[in-house]
Amino acid sequence: MSLEEPKPTDVGETPDGNVDYAELEALLGDAVIGREEHVNAPAFVVRPDEVQQALGALREEAGFDYCSCVTAQEYEDRYESIYHLKKYDDPTQEVGVVVPTTRDEPVSQSGEAVYRTADWHEREAYDLVGIEYADHPDLRRILLPETWQGHPLGKDYNPEKPQVVPFREHANPLEPDQRGEGSESDTMFINIGPHHPATHGVLHVETVLDGEQIADVEPDIGYLHRCEEQMCQQSTYRHQIMPYPDRWDYVSAGILNEWAYARAAEDMADIEVPEYAQVIRTMSAELCRIASHMLALGTFALDVFGDFTAVFQYAFRDREVVQDILEDLTGQRLMFNYLRLGGVAWDIPEPREEFFEKVRDFLDGLPKKTQEYHNLITSNEIFQLRCVNTGELPPEVAKQYGATGPVARGSGVDIDLRRDDPYGYYEELDWDVITEDGCDNYSRVLVRMREVEESAKIIEQCVDLLEEWPEEERTIQANVPRTLKPDPDTEIYRGVEAAKGELGIYMRSDGTDKPARFKIRSPCFCNLHTLREMTEGEYIPDLIASLGSLDIVLGEVDR
Amino acid sequence: MIPAQTQTPLPDIIGDLLGFGTEMGPGETFIASFIGAALVGTLMLTMTALAGPWAKRKITAAFTDRYAVNRIGPAGLLIIVADAVRLLSKELIVPEGVDRPAWDLAPIVIASSALLGFAVIPMGNGIHLADPEAGLVYVFAVASIASVGLVMAGYASNNKFSMLGGLRAVAQNLAYEIPLVLIAASVVLFAGSLQMSEIVAAQTETLVSLGGVAIPSWYVFVNPFAFVLFMVANLMEVGRNPFDIPEAPTEIVAGYQTEYSSAYFVLIYLGEFIHIFLGGAIIATLFLGGPAGPVLPGILWFIIKIWAVFLFTQWARSALPRLRIDQLIEVGWKGMLVLALANLVLTAVIVGVIA
Repeated sequence: MSLEEPKPTDVGETPDGNVDYAELEALLGDAVIGREEHVNAPAFVVRPDEVQQALGALREEAGFDYCSCVTAQEYEDRYESIYHLKKYDDPTQEVGVVVPTTRDEPVSQSGEAVYRTADWHEREAYDLVGIEYADHPDLRRILLPETWQGHPLGKDYNPEKPQVVPFREHANPLEPDQRGEGSESDTMFINIGPHHPATHGVLHVETVLDGEQIADVEPDIGYLHRCEEQMCQQSTYRHQIMPYPDRWDYVSAGILNEWAYARAAEDMADIEVPEYAQVIRTMSAELCRIASHMLALGTFALDVFGDFTAVFQYAFRDREVVQDILEDLTGQRLMFNYLRLGGVAWDIPEPREEFFEKVRDFLDGLPKKTQEYHNLITSNEIFQLRCVNTGELPPEVAKQYGATGPVARGSGVDIDLRRDDPYGYYEELDWDVITEDGCDNYSRVLVRMREVEESAKIIEQCVDLLEEWPEEERTIQANVPRTLKPDPDTEIYRGVEAAKGELGIYMRSDGTDKPARFKIRSPCFCNLHTLREMTEGEYIPDLIASLGSLDIVLGEVDR
Repeated sequence: MIPAQTQTPLPDIIGDLLGFGTEMGPGETFIASFIGAALVGTLMLTMTALAGPWAKRKITAAFTDRYAVNRIGPAGLLIIVADAVRLLSKELIVPEGVDRPAWDLAPIVIASSALLGFAVIPMGNGIHLADPEAGLVYVFAVASIASVGLVMAGYASNNKFSMLGGLRAVAQNLAYEIPLVLIAASVVLFAGSLQMSEIVAAQTETLVSLGGVAIPSWYVFVNPFAFVLFMVANLMEVGRNPFDIPEAPTEIVAGYQTEYSSAYFVLIYLGEFIHIFLGGAIIATLFLGGPAGPVLPGILWFIIKIWAVFLFTQWARSALPRLRIDQLIEVGWKGMLVLALANLVLTAVIVGVIA
């Protein structure tokens, strides 16, 4: 609109919304010792003792308020941490900050003071790669047990060496009874999980209670760590990696995850995906999103209602329909393995009309079901009493923790990579990004419920398109070489909007057919980090509700 | 109109049948009472056995679009036997550091306290063990003993989740018990007696006659407001959703019963269901005319009414989210108590003006 004031641009931002990297380099001044070209965006090489200053300048002056990921890796001659920075307002404006450290003394300054989310990312980097971060408030292992020897993604790690730890040397979670000041303290330490009815998997939340109120929580993750990054590093780009993403967020978001890898690899190898395949991808991905949000809704209701009640079963009943459609399409119910680099595995199943009719039947029934959910859940007074103004996550805090997806949008942060950093066929379709300003558990539920409706809109348009697609133009697969060998030292970080938020993949090639470094930026990992902010001072039931409203899948948190 | 129940207590009838004569000695009274109590207890335990492993699952399944048990026996009924064998054959695990006598006594207290209440409930067809003048007070008194059991279980288990559950049980108990008794007091004002048989008898009169159908003066028709309040307070008393806060499976694992297994678990489980049935029996007696009803014999009507209340608890369980403990206490003290008092004052005024 013409009446709108032109937005004041940040340092290093051109009026048309691009990044002026020369200006950024000037801003960082002496801290920069070089520049690297990554496929997604250029990156500045920064001295390891100037990290805070460089990140701070980029955040405060240049407006890069979103640290989406920290990747650590080891080269023959050095260690390297890469901070992938973006802007919440426009995630296409990206910049990388590469921090090299020597192999003898792998210490660099921590970015935690600038971006809170770096806390966990750096702990992971320390745990898996072995880089140490000065000034980090709490540099402990995060995925592996405290007793683990060595850093598994490091070059001199010996995977053959058995890591047998006698029982007595394991940390005994029952041991520390009191937390807080002194033995006279009134607080009670309690382990919620790893075996607890409401932790959505094997999550261990170390909780300090003051009466029924929560004084402190510390999520302890890693129980489901399956070396997914390493497995991908040992697999070929072309075929072997694709089955793994299904197993990260395994509850039904498979195709969304596959798309994250597909997008990164396709951009890296410069593969053009046929339009027809993009439409199929978009449709199937949104079906996955519906299935995933249904599950989130059902399990959240389970957490708040307290039993396997009607809502849970209804949500599962409706998810089942989606699952059936996806099974028809991909041949699998959960581990789809449907996307291929440059397209999809196969076309819509014959007879096509039958498939489209099934999808349409589902879409036609959806408004009634949504209304049913609203009647049962969101308009229930007790539900509102439980969820409104509990688990509050102010937008500024959400940004600090790198929250994305429904968690960020429930806090009024208007970010959705489908719109902001378009891929697939989303740009051509008519749909809206849902945000709610409540910042509480209730908003996050509402966002998911309304996103289901938006996804339904997208699917409907895709089905229309697919139905009328001329038969001779139905190309499902681009021409991709049998073996992919990207040029050595190509680096890329790419994210897609998965069910839980930005699922990003960082890959570095070394000229072979397998990635030299494969890093997964899990949205659940970052979203879970916000738990402490959301629950302090609230009651135990609110902790459970907040955990449910984050909609984490431990398979993706731990990878 | 025929009185809905005979005034002779069950032990006397049994004594008659055994030929003890009208004047029974202490030994004979004991035998007759024991047989009577065993009969009533068996009836209640049978209903619990039906409700726990089978009916509860079937009802919840109906609410949630599922089939539930249907493999063993007709309509899955033999699951009751299978479950009994399964539960009782499990190992009884005694965790380290439990407070032994209290930990062992708690399940017994929980299960038996609710059973005691049935002693004064008139069930129709002469099934009425005792009819003391303060019958209503006795029922509330023994029903509340269960809370002591919950605290014992929670405190003795040496488990933090159990302790939280036990503490929640106390807080909840305080919050609902006073409104519960106050609402019952309003019924007492109407009936003019604390004696259960009198309360039932007072409900046999015809309230109005609609097209030849006589509507009895059950207190649910006389004072529906009190009935609704009592139903809510009863849900709190039996600890079902939305008030199942002391055990809150998603929050504190299983609350006070976390550490119990095998026979002890069965006892606690049993106690919960008997408690629900006792709640139903109190509601039936206070508001639904006790065993009164057309055509069918009184005892059948009584059982139907109890099951109707049970069905209501299961409905609430399937449909309502759980309150938070602080919200429950707020509801109890700021909402229920005020409404119960208002109801009591209003009833007193009405009864005073009319009578």
